[in-house]
Amino acid sequence: MSRPVQSRRGQLADAALVVALLILGIQVYLFETVLQSVLDGQRAVLPGAFAASLVLTAIALFLAFKVPRIDAGPKH
Amino acid sequence: MAWKRAFPVDLADEGRFSRREFARFLALVSAGFTAGLGYLWLRKKPLAGAPEPVGQKEAPIALGLAADLRPGQSRLFTFRDAQDRCILLRTPMGELRAYRQTCTHLGCAVRFRNDQLECPCHEGFFEVERGFPVQGPPTRPLSGIALELRPDGTLWAVGDLPKPTALPTRAGAACPRDTRMEVEA
Repeated sequence: MSRPVQSRRGQLADAALVVALLILGIQVYLFETVLQSVLDGQRAVLPGAFAASLVLTAIALFLAFKVPRIDAGPKH
Repeated sequence: MAWKRAFPVDLADEGRFSRREFARFLALVSAGFTAGLGYLWLRKKPLAGAPEPVGQKEAPIALGLAADLRPGQSRLFTFRDAQDRCILLRTPMGELRAYRQTCTHLGCAVRFRNDQLECPCHEGFFEVERGFPVQGPPTRPLSGIALELRPDGTLWAVGDLPKPTALPTRAGAACPRDTRMEVEA
Protein backbone atom coordinates (compact mmCIF):
# COMPACT_ATOMS: atom_id res chain seq x y z
CA MET A 1 0.00 0.00 0.00
CA SER A 2 2.88 2.36 0.68
CA ARG A 3 4.47 2.01 -2.77
CA PRO A 4 2.02 4.36 -4.65
CA VAL A 5 2.44 6.99 -1.94
CA GLN A 6 6.22 6.79 -2.23
CA SER A 7 5.96 7.14 -6.01
CA ARG A 8 3.69 10.18 -5.67
CA ARG A 9 6.15 11.78 -3.26
CA GLY A 10 8.94 11.22 -5.72
CA GLN A 11 6.93 12.88 -8.50
CA LEU A 12 6.31 15.90 -6.33
CA ALA A 13 10.02 16.31 -5.67
CA ASP A 14 10.84 15.97 -9.35
CA ALA A 15 8.26 18.59 -10.30
CA ALA A 16 9.60 21.02 -7.69
CA LEU A 17 13.14 20.63 -8.97
CA VAL A 18 12.06 21.02 -12.59
CA VAL A 19 10.18 24.21 -11.70
CA ALA A 20 13.22 25.55 -9.81
CA LEU A 21 15.46 24.81 -12.80
CA LEU A 22 12.94 26.40 -15.14
CA ILE A 23 12.85 29.51 -12.96
CA LEU A 24 16.62 29.80 -13.11
CA GLY A 25 16.52 29.49 -16.90
CA ILE A 26 13.91 32.25 -17.10
CA GLN A 27 16.02 34.40 -14.78
CA VAL A 28 19.11 34.01 -16.97
CA TYR A 29 17.13 34.89 -20.10
CA LEU A 30 15.43 37.82 -18.36
CA PHE A 31 18.69 39.24 -17.05
CA GLU A 32 20.46 38.92 -20.39
CA THR A 33 17.55 40.55 -22.24
CA VAL A 34 17.18 43.38 -19.75
CA LEU A 35 20.92 44.05 -19.69
CA GLN A 36 20.91 44.35 -23.46
CA SER A 37 17.95 46.76 -23.30
CA VAL A 38 19.71 48.87 -20.67
CA LEU A 39 22.83 49.01 -22.83
CA ASP A 40 20.56 50.24 -25.63
CA GLY A 41 19.35 53.03 -23.36
CA GLN A 42 15.90 51.58 -22.64
CA ARG A 43 15.66 51.72 -18.87
CA ALA A 44 11.86 51.65 -18.79
CA VAL A 45 11.88 47.85 -18.73
CA LEU A 46 13.73 47.70 -15.41
CA PRO A 47 10.82 48.07 -12.92
CA GLY A 48 8.75 45.39 -14.63
CA ALA A 49 11.70 43.07 -15.04
CA PHE A 50 12.66 43.50 -11.39
CA ALA A 51 9.10 42.75 -10.25
CA ALA A 52 8.94 39.63 -12.43
CA SER A 53 12.35 38.49 -11.20
CA LEU A 54 11.27 39.07 -7.60
CA VAL A 55 8.18 36.89 -8.07
CA LEU A 56 10.27 34.14 -9.64
CA THR A 57 12.77 34.28 -6.80
CA ALA A 58 9.97 34.10 -4.23
CA ILE A 59 8.67 30.96 -5.92
CA ALA A 60 12.17 29.47 -6.03
CA LEU A 61 12.70 30.24 -2.35
CA PHE A 62 9.35 28.71 -1.48
CA LEU A 63 10.23 25.57 -3.40
CA ALA A 64 13.64 25.38 -1.76
CA PHE A 65 12.60 25.97 1.83
CA LYS A 66 8.91 25.25 2.22
CA VAL A 67 7.94 22.48 -0.16
CA PRO A 68 7.82 19.24 1.86
CA ARG A 69 9.36 16.00 0.66
CA ILE A 70 11.60 17.61 -1.95
CA ASP A 71 14.25 15.04 -0.98
CA ALA A 72 11.89 12.14 -1.61
CA GLY A 73 13.29 11.31 -5.01
CA PRO A 74 14.37 7.87 -6.18
CA LYS A 75 16.67 6.11 -3.71
CA HIS A 76 20.16 5.22 -4.89
CA MET B 1 43.78 2.02 9.72
CA ALA B 2 44.93 4.42 12.38
CA TRP B 3 44.50 7.61 10.37
CA LYS B 4 40.92 6.67 9.53
CA ARG B 5 40.13 6.33 13.20
CA ALA B 6 41.82 9.67 13.85
CA PHE B 7 39.95 11.40 11.03
CA PRO B 8 36.58 9.68 10.75
CA VAL B 9 35.44 11.38 7.56
CA ASP B 10 33.26 9.44 5.17
CA LEU B 11 34.07 10.82 1.72
CA ALA B 12 30.89 9.36 0.23
CA ASP B 13 28.80 11.32 2.71
CA GLU B 14 30.92 14.44 2.22
CA GLY B 15 30.16 14.49 -1.51
CA ARG B 16 26.45 13.96 -1.00
CA PHE B 17 24.40 16.84 -2.30
CA SER B 18 20.74 16.58 -1.44
CA ARG B 19 17.89 17.82 -3.60
CA ARG B 20 17.00 20.32 -0.91
CA GLU B 21 20.53 21.78 -1.03
CA PHE B 22 20.42 21.88 -4.82
CA ALA B 23 17.05 23.66 -4.76
CA ARG B 24 18.47 26.16 -2.25
CA PHE B 25 21.44 26.76 -4.50
CA LEU B 26 19.08 27.42 -7.45
CA ALA B 27 17.03 29.82 -5.32
CA LEU B 28 20.20 31.62 -4.21
CA VAL B 29 21.34 32.11 -7.81
CA SER B 30 17.85 33.28 -8.73
CA ALA B 31 18.00 35.82 -5.90
CA GLY B 32 21.36 36.96 -7.26
CA PHE B 33 19.80 37.75 -10.62
CA THR B 34 17.02 39.66 -8.88
CA ALA B 35 19.57 41.64 -6.91
CA GLY B 36 21.42 42.39 -10.14
CA LEU B 37 18.27 43.73 -11.77
CA GLY B 38 17.55 45.80 -8.66
CA TYR B 39 21.06 47.24 -8.83
CA LEU B 40 20.58 48.16 -12.49
CA TRP B 41 17.27 49.81 -11.63
CA LEU B 42 18.61 51.84 -8.71
CA ARG B 43 21.87 52.78 -10.40
CA LYS B 44 21.56 56.32 -11.69
CA LYS B 45 24.72 56.44 -13.75
CA PRO B 46 24.40 54.72 -17.15
CA LEU B 47 26.48 51.61 -17.72
CA ALA B 48 29.68 51.92 -19.74
CA GLY B 49 28.73 51.96 -23.40
CA ALA B 50 25.11 52.90 -22.72
CA PRO B 51 23.85 56.28 -23.92
CA GLU B 52 22.77 59.00 -21.53
CA PRO B 53 18.99 59.33 -21.08
CA VAL B 54 17.45 61.13 -24.05
CA GLY B 55 16.60 64.76 -23.43
CA GLN B 56 19.51 65.44 -21.12
CA LYS B 57 21.08 68.82 -21.76
CA GLU B 58 24.48 68.59 -23.41
CA ALA B 59 27.01 71.27 -24.16
CA PRO B 60 26.96 71.54 -27.99
CA ILE B 61 30.24 70.83 -29.73
CA ALA B 62 31.18 72.69 -32.90
CA LEU B 63 32.14 70.38 -35.75
CA GLY B 64 33.11 72.95 -38.36
CA LEU B 65 31.45 73.78 -41.62
CA ALA B 66 29.10 71.14 -42.94
CA ALA B 67 30.10 71.93 -46.52
CA ASP B 68 33.69 70.86 -45.83
CA LEU B 69 32.64 67.23 -45.68
CA ARG B 70 31.98 65.64 -49.06
CA PRO B 71 30.04 62.38 -49.59
CA GLY B 72 32.12 59.42 -48.46
CA GLN B 73 34.31 61.52 -46.16
CA SER B 74 34.49 61.34 -42.39
CA ARG B 75 35.99 63.26 -39.51
CA LEU B 76 36.70 62.26 -35.92
CA PHE B 77 35.73 64.35 -32.93
CA THR B 78 35.26 64.00 -29.18
CA PHE B 79 31.95 64.81 -27.58
CA ARG B 80 31.56 64.69 -23.79
CA ASP B 81 35.17 64.18 -22.88
CA ALA B 82 38.46 63.12 -24.43
CA GLN B 83 37.48 59.44 -24.17
CA ASP B 84 34.10 59.91 -25.88
CA ARG B 85 35.36 59.49 -29.44
CA CYS B 86 32.86 59.93 -32.23
CA ILE B 87 32.87 59.89 -36.00
CA LEU B 88 31.10 62.36 -38.25
CA LEU B 89 30.46 61.25 -41.81
CA ARG B 90 28.61 62.22 -44.93
CA THR B 91 26.81 59.29 -46.51
CA PRO B 92 26.96 58.64 -50.26
CA MET B 93 23.43 60.10 -50.38
CA GLY B 94 24.82 63.35 -48.97
CA GLU B 95 23.34 63.12 -45.48
CA LEU B 96 25.34 63.88 -42.38
CA ARG B 97 25.50 61.29 -39.61
CA ALA B 98 27.50 61.02 -36.41
CA TYR B 99 28.07 57.95 -34.23
CA ARG B 100 30.16 56.98 -31.27
CA GLN B 101 33.25 55.17 -32.46
CA THR B 102 32.82 52.43 -29.86
CA CYS B 103 31.87 49.14 -31.49
CA THR B 104 28.96 47.50 -29.69
CA HIS B 105 30.75 44.15 -29.79
CA LEU B 106 33.93 44.59 -27.76
CA GLY B 107 34.51 48.32 -27.87
CA CYS B 108 37.06 48.71 -30.67
CA ALA B 109 37.01 51.95 -32.66
CA VAL B 110 34.94 51.76 -35.84
CA ARG B 111 36.08 53.55 -39.00
CA PHE B 112 34.34 54.74 -42.14
CA ARG B 113 35.48 52.78 -45.18
CA ASN B 114 33.77 51.92 -48.43
CA ASP B 115 30.59 53.72 -47.42
CA GLN B 116 30.19 51.56 -44.31
CA LEU B 117 31.28 51.73 -40.73
CA GLU B 118 33.73 48.95 -40.11
CA CYS B 119 35.16 47.53 -36.90
CA PRO B 120 38.59 46.19 -37.87
CA CYS B 121 39.04 44.01 -34.77
CA HIS B 122 36.47 41.31 -35.63
CA GLU B 123 35.19 42.43 -39.02
CA GLY B 124 31.92 43.90 -37.82
CA PHE B 125 30.09 46.17 -40.25
CA PHE B 126 27.41 48.77 -39.61
CA GLU B 127 25.25 50.58 -42.12
CA VAL B 128 25.59 54.35 -42.06
CA GLU B 129 21.95 55.46 -42.14
CA ARG B 130 21.03 54.37 -38.62
CA GLY B 131 24.09 52.51 -37.37
CA PHE B 132 22.61 49.01 -37.51
CA PRO B 133 24.98 46.04 -37.62
CA VAL B 134 24.83 44.27 -40.97
CA GLN B 135 27.59 41.71 -40.61
CA GLY B 136 29.94 40.23 -38.06
CA PRO B 137 29.72 39.78 -34.29
CA PRO B 138 27.98 43.05 -33.27
CA THR B 139 24.26 42.66 -32.56
CA ARG B 140 23.37 46.15 -31.35
CA PRO B 141 23.37 49.41 -33.31
CA LEU B 142 25.98 52.11 -32.79
CA SER B 143 25.15 54.97 -30.48
CA GLY B 144 24.08 57.94 -32.60
CA ILE B 145 24.85 61.61 -32.00
CA ALA B 146 22.23 64.28 -32.76
CA LEU B 147 23.47 66.94 -35.17
CA GLU B 148 22.29 70.48 -35.70
CA LEU B 149 23.00 72.55 -38.81
CA ARG B 150 22.95 76.24 -37.95
CA PRO B 151 22.10 79.04 -40.37
CA ASP B 152 25.74 80.05 -40.73
CA GLY B 153 26.53 76.59 -42.14
CA THR B 154 28.27 75.26 -39.05
CA LEU B 155 27.51 71.81 -37.74
CA TRP B 156 27.07 71.08 -34.04
CA ALA B 157 26.82 67.88 -32.03
CA VAL B 158 24.00 68.52 -29.58
CA GLY B 159 23.20 65.24 -27.81
CA ASP B 160 22.44 61.56 -28.02
CA LEU B 161 19.98 60.07 -30.46
CA PRO B 162 17.58 57.43 -29.10
CA LYS B 163 18.66 53.94 -30.08
CA PRO B 164 16.78 52.77 -33.18
CA THR B 165 14.67 49.68 -32.58
CA ALA B 166 13.27 48.65 -35.96
CA LEU B 167 15.69 46.97 -38.33
CA PRO B 168 15.87 48.84 -41.63
CA THR B 169 14.64 46.78 -44.56
CA ARG B 170 17.78 47.29 -46.58
CA ALA B 171 20.21 46.39 -43.80
CA GLY B 172 20.50 42.84 -45.07
CA ALA B 173 21.27 44.01 -48.58
CA ALA B 174 24.19 46.07 -47.34
CA CYS B 175 26.22 43.02 -46.36
CA PRO B 176 29.75 43.56 -47.71
CA ARG B 177 30.65 39.86 -47.80
CA ASP B 178 27.74 39.17 -50.17
CA THR B 179 29.02 41.92 -52.42
CA ARG B 180 32.50 40.39 -52.33
CA MET B 181 31.13 36.99 -53.31
CA GLU B 182 29.21 38.50 -56.18
CA VAL B 183 32.40 40.12 -57.47
CA GLU B 184 34.34 36.87 -57.17
CA ALA B 185 31.64 34.95 -59.01
